[in-house]
Amino acid sequence: MTETVYRLVYYSHNRIVGSPAALEAGINSILEVSRRNNPLANVTGALMFNAGCFGQVLEGAPDAVEQIFERIQMDPRHSDVHLLSFASAPARAFAHWSMAFVGASVPDAARYGAIADDTGYSPARMESEELFKVLQRLALEDEGATP
Amino acid sequence: MLSELAGGVLTIGSDGFVTFANRSASALFPGPGPVGIQLLTFLDLSGVSNGSALVEATRSRTASAPIRIGLAGGRILDTRSCPLPDGGAVVTLLDVGLYIHEADLARRDPLTGLPNRVELRERLSVLLAEFQRTQAPFAVISLDLDHFKSVNDTMGHPMGDALLVKVAERLRSALRPSDILARMGGDEFMILQSDAAQPQAATALATRLVDLIGRTYIVSGQILNVGTSIGIALSPGDGEDVDSLLKHADLALYRAKTDGKGVFRFFQISMDEEMQARRLLELDLRSALAFRQFELNFQPQVELDPRRLVGFEALLRWRTPARGLVSPADFIPLAEQTGLIVPIGEWVLQTACRQAASWSQPVSVGVNVSAVQFNNARLVQIVTSALNASGLDPGRLELEITESVLINSTQSVLEQLHAVKSLGVRVAMDDFGTGYSSLTYLQKFPFDRLKVDQSFVGGSGDGSKGMAIIRAVTALGNSLGIATIVEGVETEEQLAQVRAEGCTEVQGYLTGRPMDAAAAAALAAESPSPTAVQGDPP
Repeated sequence: MTETVYRLVYYSHNRIVGSPAALEAGINSILEVSRRNNPLANVTGALMFNAGCFGQVLEGAPDAVEQIFERIQMDPRHSDVHLLSFASAPARAFAHWSMAFVGASVPDAARYGAIADDTGYSPARMESEELFKVLQRLALEDEGATP
Repeated sequence: MLSELAGGVLTIGSDGFVTFANRSASALFPGPGPVGIQLLTFLDLSGVSNGSALVEATRSRTASAPIRIGLAGGRILDTRSCPLPDGGAVVTLLDVGLYIHEADLARRDPLTGLPNRVELRERLSVLLAEFQRTQAPFAVISLDLDHFKSVNDTMGHPMGDALLVKVAERLRSALRPSDILARMGGDEFMILQSDAAQPQAATALATRLVDLIGRTYIVSGQILNVGTSIGIALSPGDGEDVDSLLKHADLALYRAKTDGKGVFRFFQISMDEEMQARRLLELDLRSALAFRQFELNFQPQVELDPRRLVGFEALLRWRTPARGLVSPADFIPLAEQTGLIVPIGEWVLQTACRQAASWSQPVSVGVNVSAVQFNNARLVQIVTSALNASGLDPGRLELEITESVLINSTQSVLEQLHAVKSLGVRVAMDDFGTGYSSLTYLQKFPFDRLKVDQSFVGGSGDGSKGMAIIRAVTALGNSLGIATIVEGVETEEQLAQVRAEGCTEVQGYLTGRPMDAAAAAALAAESPSPTAVQGDPP
């Protein structure tokens, strides 16, 4: 029996203030909580942080994704959440990741990713499909490089 | 027989010893049971709270009012004592835990589990009582959802309820343990925020809530967007009792709503005064039709090259002995909010049609119809009867609607517009170029005329830009086969400009100010017959 997979893509603006260390701790705690909770709900996905913005993909059963998204919406560490898409998908793209962190390493993302610039990957400047593809490609590239 | 009663029964001897306990009474207490022990000793040993009040009652020679005692396990009993002829007493024990649970339910909103209005009022009165002692300020925050009704209407009540549950969760997530959140009913919530520096804390919370509640929801797989408006009253400055604080928070909420929604406002004393004024205006407006205080003015609509009268726009005027002439900007919004626009609008249609039918030239009459009138399914019937009663040729009546009629356009509105048009009545889009001016409206419905908003002619800002817009709209109308008329032309210079931009019809002070019915009839009489000028070269 094939499972029903819904995929949700959004980006939002960082609201964690302080030093790169504070940002790094913030991102790590987001990942930690995701990696603890997502397997329980059978939700997988990927997160990136660049140009002052988070970009995230969540995939799983529609109810589970809906619940996790609601929790994300209540998180004060970000704002201006732009839901780019929420629709059924043929299959999971991040089946092996409870929450992959893609792009730069967390310390590097914390150090350089807070700067809003037009170069590189700005989640806020991408369409849903493009953001999803970037996250997917980066996750695949990073596979093997980082556990 | 006593032993079989569902309620607990004890009999007490004149010496204060328990002489009998039925099965229910024994079951309430663990251990060997009360018989043969002093009632007071027994209650003490069992860890009963408030037991001495009951013992006191058994010594009285009159029947007692219910005395509530608490058992060690948390159960709550209502007890009564009745004197017996032998100097003893009979005590009944009723387990009221269930009733108290029900009373608790009566204080909770079943959907969200939040305290309801009853509970909120009590908590507020406790805060007010504490204020006497602590002098600690607190905030009363009233909020509701913007456009919640349309979620209920279009997606159904189960969806609306599921959304409310999520909204309640989000609200809860933003509050501190000392804050009190209640659902007052529908989509209205109230927060009591104490133990914080005011007004800073209320400002911070309201800012957060506007953002938080406004974030997208996914409810049962559907994406929903609603916003919230917030009103805040501060104690002690904005009220010293429950009613006035709640009322003032609601007044501030009302202001937030009228200021465009998705914002928060603190109560100000002027809001109270404005609300009073509004209430008095509403009272007057309710009796205005009966007192025949409305009149219609007519502003000429003129075709250029050669100049000739083609019609009038009917404009509603309200004059009262006490207020004099009331500006439509002051009473039309109120009439729309209260629904009074429906009977008033009916009067306007009937009167405009009757006046136009009396004119000696068959020029048209434009009548404004608001979105609220379309919510009333009788609109088509009202138009039909106004035409029938007056005998006016339907082709001479033009309904002017604004974008707001179509903005939440339901199938029903479009059906009504088509039905009106099938009567032969023309339909014009008013104030074109303001608001969203979405061109999709022009696709949704075959308008007969676009009325270009007056702000593009005179108005503020760059005149050349306004003219460029007039040129574009005129061209748009030409290519769609829709007539255009430019409003607000006040000077010959402006007239020359709009003419140069291809405009063929104008309405404004230059070509005619609004005039009363007699003057309009006279002007119609002296204008050349439309059929006579049709052959004229342009």
